Order: sequence, then C-alpha cells, then structure tokens
Amino acid sequence: MTTGQAEAADSPYAKWQRAVAARYADRNFAARNRSGVELDPVYGGLDRHGAPAEMPGQYPYTRGIYPIHYQYQPWMDLQIIGYGLPAQTRERMDLLLEQGGSKGYFDREAYNFIFDMPTSMGYDPDYPGVRGSIGDCGISVCKASDYEILLDGKDLERTTVSMVLNAGSPGMLALYLAAAKRRGFAFDKLGGNVTNYIWDFFGHSGGTNFSPRGSYRLIADIAAYCARHVPLWNTLTISEHNICEAGASNVQAVAYSIAAIIAVNEECVKLGIDLDTVVPRFGFHVRYGENFFEEIAKTRALRRVYAKVNRERFGCTKSGALQARIHAQTAGSLLTAQQPLNNLVRNAYGALAAVLSGVNGMTINAYDEALGLPTEEAVTLSLRTSQIIAEETGAVHVSDPMGGSFYVEELTDEIERRVFAIIAEIDERGGLIACIESGWIKQQVSAAAYQWRQEIESGARTMVGVNKYATDEPENYAVFQPDPEAARLAIADVERHRAQRDNARCAAALDDLRRAGAEVNAGRAVGSVMAMLVAAADADATLGEMQTVLHDVFGRNK
Amino acid sequence: MAMQDTAPRPRVLLTKSFIDSHDRAIATIALALRDAAMEVVLIDYEQPEDVVAVALQEDVDVIGISFMSGGQVETTQKIVAELARREVADLPLVVGGIIRPFDVPPLEAAGVREIFRGGAPMADVVATFERLSRTYRGLA
Repeated sequence: MTTGQAEAADSPYAKWQRAVAARYADRNFAARNRSGVELDPVYGGLDRHGAPAEMPGQYPYTRGIYPIHYQYQPWMDLQIIGYGLPAQTRERMDLLLEQGGSKGYFDREAYNFIFDMPTSMGYDPDYPGVRGSIGDCGISVCKASDYEILLDGKDLERTTVSMVLNAGSPGMLALYLAAAKRRGFAFDKLGGNVTNYIWDFFGHSGGTNFSPRGSYRLIADIAAYCARHVPLWNTLTISEHNICEAGASNVQAVAYSIAAIIAVNEECVKLGIDLDTVVPRFGFHVRYGENFFEEIAKTRALRRVYAKVNRERFGCTKSGALQARIHAQTAGSLLTAQQPLNNLVRNAYGALAAVLSGVNGMTINAYDEALGLPTEEAVTLSLRTSQIIAEETGAVHVSDPMGGSFYVEELTDEIERRVFAIIAEIDERGGLIACIESGWIKQQVSAAAYQWRQEIESGARTMVGVNKYATDEPENYAVFQPDPEAARLAIADVERHRAQRDNARCAAALDDLRRAGAEVNAGRAVGSVMAMLVAAADADATLGEMQTVLHDVFGRNK
Repeated sequence: MAMQDTAPRPRVLLTKSFIDSHDRAIATIALALRDAAMEVVLIDYEQPEDVVAVALQEDVDVIGISFMSGGQVETTQKIVAELARREVADLPLVVGGIIRPFDVPPLEAAGVREIFRGGAPMADVVATFERLSRTYRGLA
C-alpha cells in the first residue's frame, strides 16, 4: 500500500487501480527487492501543485501509455541487423536468435532490418554510381524474392519485421507484402513496421527523397492502404532520433517531430481519411544521448504533447491515436572512434535513460560503430546491456520512477512549453512543409549542429577520450569487413532477375502504378498507389523501377 | 603590425554521395571553413566523376569528400582517376568520416592528402584545407 494516495473514487490513483484490475484481472505485479521491501508497480501521490498526480495509462500519458508496463511486457530488443546480401544477413539473424535476441512481443520473433544506402534510397544495385555502397552498412534488397531468402522458413504471422529506410520505404513495404502473398500469408495477420522516413527533410533523406508535398501525400496513401488491408502494420516512424542526430537539440527535435505529425494529419484530413483509423499506427523513434535527465523529461513531454495535439487539435478519440509508442535508440553521433570501449558505457547510460522513460522498443548501438560496421562481439554486448538492465538492475519493477521528481517534472513542463512555442512558430511560418521548402528547418538544424561542435572545440562540452582524457594508445580493435564480393553478386543477381521475369507483365504493372500515382496526386483513390506497388512487386518489378515511377509522379526533393 | 595578406582565400569543394544522407559532419565543416573566410561549395554527387567536373567549374583548390556508409575506397579511386584524366592530378583530396583501418592503405595509395575521422579537432581540419590550398596555388 502506498501512502498518500488520494482515496476518492474518481482520483487518478483509483482509476488506475480499476484499469489494472479490469485489464490484468488478479495478477499481482508487486516485486520484492533484495531487502525484502515490496514494491508497487507504480507510485502516485500529489503532484507539485498539490493535485492528485496523473498515473500511467491516463491521458495525456506523461507517465507512460500503459497502466502496467515492463512488469507485464518488457521492451522489445531490436538490434539493427543487415549487411551484404540477404543470405549473409540471414546468418547474422540466426546468430542473434541463438543468443536470446530477436524477441518480439508475445513470443514473436522480431527483426530490425537496415538496408545499404542504395536500397534505403530506392536504387537498385546496378544503378550507376552506387556500386561502392552495395551491401556496406546494410542489406542489399531490390526484389520480392530477396525476402524469400531473408525469411526462409519463418512463420510471418509470428515474425515482426521492422524495416529502417528512407526514400525506398514505399517500394520496400511492397516487396515484403508481395513476398508474404506468394507464401500464402493473409495481410491482416502481418505485423511489422516500415520507418517510411520520407517525412524526414531534417538531414536524412536529402535529394533522393520525393518533393515535400509528394512525400506527405505518399505517407497518407500508405497509411490509408494499410488501415484497410494490413491493419497491424505500423506505417510511419517519426524519428526524433534522426533529427537529433542531424544536430538538433532535444527541444527542437521533439517540436519538429510533432510538427511532422501535424503535417501528416493535415494531409490525411485534406484527403478525407478518418484519423482514428490511421494515427494509431504512427510511432516514434527517440534518441537517448548525452543529457540523462533531459532524455527522460523529453520523452514524458513528447508523450504529453502528442496526446494533446491529436486530441485537442485533430479531435482524435481512439486511445491508440493519443498514445505515443516509442522505439528508443542510443545516440550514434556520440560514439567515438577514440577509446571505443567508452562507448559501451555511453550506450548503457542512454539505454537506462530510455528504460526509465518507459519506452516500448530498444536498439542499443554497438560500441564499435564509429570504427565501422559492428562486429558480432559488439552486437552481442549491446544485447547483453539490455538484458542486464532488464534482468539484473531492477529498473523494471516500477513504472515512471522519475515521476514526482521536482527536477524531472519541471523539466518536462519546460520542454512542453518550448515545444509548443516552436510549433506555434512553424504554424506562423505556414506549416512544416512551407518551412522545409524555404530551407528554414535545415538552417535551424545545421546551426544547432555547428554550435554543438563549437562547444566541443572550445572544451565547453566534454567528450571523454576526445577533447579530455585523450590518450595516444594504439587503436587495434577488430573492425568488421563487409564482403567485397557483395556488389558483384548483387548486380549479377538483379541482371539475372530482369532476364528471367515476365517483362510484359512487369511493365504493365508499372504502368498501373503510374496511373494510380496520377490519381492520388489529384487527391483521388487514396491508397491505390500502395496497392499498385504491391501488384508491381508481385509482378517482379524491382525497388528501383518502382522508385523511378514514384519520382516521376511525386517529384524529387530540391 | 603584420603585412596584410592579399592572397586569395581558399576555394573548397565539399561533397558527399547523393545516397549517403548522413550530412551532419560535412555541413558542420562547411560552416567552419566559411567562418575561416574560405569560399565553400557544398554538393551531393551522383557519379564520382561529377565531383571533378564541379571542382573544375568552380576552380577550387581542395576537394573534401565525406563518407558515412560505404564507397570510401571505390569512389575515391574513381575521383583520383578522373583528376588524372582531366590533367589536374595535383588537386589535393581530403577524405573524412567513417574511415576503417582496411580503407586506409588503398586511400593512401590513391594519393589522399589527409584523412579525418570523427572527433578530429576542427582547427586541424581548417588548417589542413588552408595549407593544401596555399600549396596548390603556389603560395607556400
């Protein structure tokens, strides 16, 4: 029993108790620490203003989106995986599974695929000028049959597939769905995620992206299609992480993330899409970096602002449309090539901040990523970091353990105030798309990145082992070397594929895609671009061929 | 009081592959070089050969290429070959970003003048571009 809980039946605590009883029946989530003290799954009381404090699972979800969180369902460990050809990545997948990784919710397997840069941007391996990047830093995938190798023998109803990529996202989702269809899986049983980073004009998609207006139109098309046909699929990941990594401050990154949601929602509303049918499948990717308490406060502020914007500004009513699901990732830009083992410690603190924030999924970077692609040893250590936090530290026993802290609560409120101020400024400037088109956004982010760098240069900000406590010890760490043969094999493979397929059927499917694009561009038949992408992928069109059509129809950035 | 240096300021081309979106470092370096009163051209390239075409059009003294996710050796070798073909083999080339140990010997063999990894002091980067520019212009 917690002292100081309000007794009234309509108090947040009483409501929370009823929610827990209704949802989890008579399960007991109390833990006991080493000293024998029984721990409640969450603590409540009066907030700083003397009112009964909000509880987890209650609007506006500052303290978390579930009444009971890790005590019932731990976070999903999603180590980033992917290099070389699909067969090579499959080997790494099998290793992770053996090590106890790749665990999704409810005993599913889960994989977080990253693609090489050509694939990520929607280019085939034989596109001129991309050869040096094939299979380097991600998997090379350009056709539906690649998924038959990558996921050979996997029950796709029991496998959650997350695809991390940029402008190639729409075509990539189509390749996966086409492969699933060929193997006889019903779309309404498929769970997974495509990051769909085409919303990102903050430094991550660049000139390979669609025009800003074209991108947001495509996001709406994909969301509408999936709501009807692939309802368990998460269609959009707004990456606060990427905005931070491009150099923005936490406040800027949260504000721009919410601004992106506002722009997507406005596009959906304009096209007549019911937001309650699509918004619950949007989620966030949040960076956990150098400011331990600020990371926690920004997560709490993000959940709160998201809930308020979707309910108050857009009239969403479904709880799923108000709850920010968050995939955490530690900060790649803080990984140093100098004294790389220090990165293990940085990553562990970042991961702990994420856990104390109540995130749903976790990617802990490998300590050697500033040196190159991670080694197997480094990937395993990342997984062990998560397992140590989950199963040794006891950090999972109590939800929102920072709730009620004078410091964290005030910082949460202050971040919320500053985020709403930036959102108001973007509104005044005509909305996010106008701010992207004018270059204002990019300028804001670059200025913040430069300021951060100058702080490092001047020593005002410390990076251990870089601008302080530097040593000149020899750096003889093992670095993973991707297969230099991958490019040749991938190019030969796509050439063989083009020679063997039914080219007339493929060309007809691409024509259908072009026609659907024109319709959707005109605001009609929303969802038909994604439908025609799936048909084209099933007709053996490659990622790059589909991308060429989409670029023609939806325009290119810059 | 030192005599005023009337030599032209360095002209620099900074570039990154169109498919490699990790542009935080190169955008930051562009601002640092501008703050050091250099003229900076910042572009994405599709073909490595395009880099040389722009370098010649813009009459730059140094080329800086940034890599995050692949192509370090292959792209650099192609740029070096194109520099030779266009008879500007002495135009200095600087490479930065994720440069792995196995990238270094072929990059050095290709004639790259300097390699900067993450964490390199910005002052060193600025000084290197300054020095390479002056040497290329025959000022030092």
